[in-house]
Amino acid sequence: MSEYKELIKQFDKIRSYVRDFYVYGFKTREDFHEKSGRTYDNQRRRMESWFSDYIRTDQNGHKKSVFLTLDSSRMAVNPLYQAWKSKSFTDNDISLRFLLSDLLADGRPRSLETIANELQTQYGCLFDTQAIRRKLSFYEKQGLITRRKEGKHYQYSSISPLSQTHPGLFPALWLAVSFFQGAAPFGFIGSTILDFWNQKNDVFRFRSDYLIHTLEDEILLPILHAMEQKCRIQITVKSTKLAAAPYPAKHKEGPAFGIPKHLPGRVSSLTVTPIKILTSTQTGRRYLCAWQENAHRLSTFRLDSIQNIQLLTPDPAYDAHRKSFQDIFPYVWGVSFGDSPKKEPETVVMEICFDEKEENFILTRLQREGRGGTLKRLLPGVYEYSRLCADAAELLPWIKSFTGRIRSFQCSNPAVEKRFWNDMKKMQEYYGLPHQSI
Amino acid sequence: MKNHDLSLFSELYTCYYQVVARILEEALHHPLTRRQMENLARQYGYDESILSIIPRLTEGCWPFLHQSESFSGAYVSSLKHTLFPQTLTRLQKSWLKALMSDSRFCLFFTDSQLKELNEALLDSDPLYRTSDFYLFDQYGDHDPFSSVMYREHMQTIIQSICQRHFLSICYLSGKGRILTHTWLPCRLEYGQRDGKFRLYAMAYSKTGRKRMDVLNVARIFSIKKTGRFYPAFVETDLYLDHTLCKDPLILEITTERNALERTMLHFSCYQKKVERLEESGTYRCTIYYDKRWETELLIQVLSFGPVVKVLGPESFLSQMQKRVRNQAQVSDIH
Repeated sequence: MSEYKELIKQFDKIRSYVRDFYVYGFKTREDFHEKSGRTYDNQRRRMESWFSDYIRTDQNGHKKSVFLTLDSSRMAVNPLYQAWKSKSFTDNDISLRFLLSDLLADGRPRSLETIANELQTQYGCLFDTQAIRRKLSFYEKQGLITRRKEGKHYQYSSISPLSQTHPGLFPALWLAVSFFQGAAPFGFIGSTILDFWNQKNDVFRFRSDYLIHTLEDEILLPILHAMEQKCRIQITVKSTKLAAAPYPAKHKEGPAFGIPKHLPGRVSSLTVTPIKILTSTQTGRRYLCAWQENAHRLSTFRLDSIQNIQLLTPDPAYDAHRKSFQDIFPYVWGVSFGDSPKKEPETVVMEICFDEKEENFILTRLQREGRGGTLKRLLPGVYEYSRLCADAAELLPWIKSFTGRIRSFQCSNPAVEKRFWNDMKKMQEYYGLPHQSI
Repeated sequence: MKNHDLSLFSELYTCYYQVVARILEEALHHPLTRRQMENLARQYGYDESILSIIPRLTEGCWPFLHQSESFSGAYVSSLKHTLFPQTLTRLQKSWLKALMSDSRFCLFFTDSQLKELNEALLDSDPLYRTSDFYLFDQYGDHDPFSSVMYREHMQTIIQSICQRHFLSICYLSGKGRILTHTWLPCRLEYGQRDGKFRLYAMAYSKTGRKRMDVLNVARIFSIKKTGRFYPAFVETDLYLDHTLCKDPLILEITTERNALERTMLHFSCYQKKVERLEESGTYRCTIYYDKRWETELLIQVLSFGPVVKVLGPESFLSQMQKRVRNQAQVSDIH
């Protein structure tokens, strides 16, 4: 039985635990069926250690749930980045990391033999020459040192930090890094730069920031590489739908509302051509938009549902798929390309009423959130919003956010229209209002 | 070597290396006691890192420190050079290179600095292309990042935050009034949803009381440095604590239409607590929010429709009831 360690060897082992502790938070030891209780205990202890400032517990009878809770708008740096900084290492790894960089810090090139000798004479440390060679080779690949051949031997030397070679870039560069570590893809890398420069972010905060995205970065990186190379990829997808709910699922939805294509938690493998990464700033989700050759259509997959990815060969029709995306995407409200690529776009028309003097912010909302829809003033205080879209059901959450002001709502898809009015009826029932015939 | 060969999960970025680097940096300047090393490990490491790091340093498994008799047994570094700043890895440089095509990047630099950085990163391939991403639901009226005036304002603000320099700002308020006032810029907040920077700035009211105002950077007409500086770091959060709700929002969430999954992700940016209600088969979610953003939260809750039900607090519930009542009236008129 191995001893508990704070550090881990593989990131994918921890990804789902961090997600469950942060996003859901209500799960108890008994809910983590996939691995043994001991594995859960170790992972829980790691979470408590990595995120100690944000861990809370809740006792419900004899069951205890441990969860991670924080207000993202108060965070200088995403606390979930801590998970990325948990890679284990050996005593040799850390010793050579610090001793080699200290030895080479004077900028003088040295051969492998000289390095081995000086490590012994200057620091009293005897290392196997092969171990030093492997480490130097690793650092060279990582861009930390350079190697050039002189006579029969390689000479190794360090690469100077940017602040020494380009002092004029500072402090602007570290301020930019302070911002983008919280506002750009792969922000975790920015936080490591702040670590490397011994700096912290005192200037920026990020509102409505979905910290959870960082957990998908290991999947995202090879997808982006495939996009750059115009390659197909094989992805292993695990459906996230209802995976969090242990209660019997009640599907009341017709096909237009997207019955899960995979059963809860079901794992499937697909070959696709990645086209775009679609990011939602409002729902906390990121998607891969990809061409599915067998279905001959564009589809989207949540990045957090992709468990594995394998790079395949280039897709000769890559540019054609991208063109399809560009043609269809103006009709897509969110991420759904509709049931059938050949189907005509659906039409949504709604009338919104408000006091133009006192509530002009509603007009501002329609203009800035309408995603290319048409806005027409019908009467003083009454505006018509209309839009064509591949899947009108996707607009419903946005339309419902205007509850209280929706004078009319029509959709060319009767199921969507019916769903909307049914929801309005249910809302009335919930909030104790007399039933209206609408 | 291609970027795809670079690993995000690498020993080079491990938290323990950073703890050790800080201990060694400190030890370069003066010998450290075990207690001092423990404090640094507590500050920069995980909760239990002390247990692994300190014994390895003091017992010599990691051969960077030695005890000195002349310093009462305190630990002295065996290293000779400062550890910071460290050289950036290829991965870090390629991330910086990718940022250069972000429309917000220029806000931090002068043109000559951008040119210099471009030359410094000439050998790096961008880690990703900004064009590979699309924020499909970002509001359409984000800040004018390419505007010359906006860029100048941002650079003045950022500099002044760092220097604690009071600024005289002419500003168009949300109510359409033009204000000129002196503010101490404290923090910039970026909203991903609307693509806007907001400046948190301290002002003195007529009675001399300090207050924290929030200004939209895009609505600033002009900025002038006053030549006056504030002597201490301002804890911005302290000024904002009073805006946190006293009574949290309590929601009941069903499992219909994947509502649990959707809501948990949607509200994950808030401080929250979720409980399973075994009898009803639903979930109770308690959300602690900032009163300033209550309307925004109300709109978000409305967007979920009947799969999410507000249970409290009373003030939030009555707003929901009002909206639903209004809806019944406006659609009935029609």
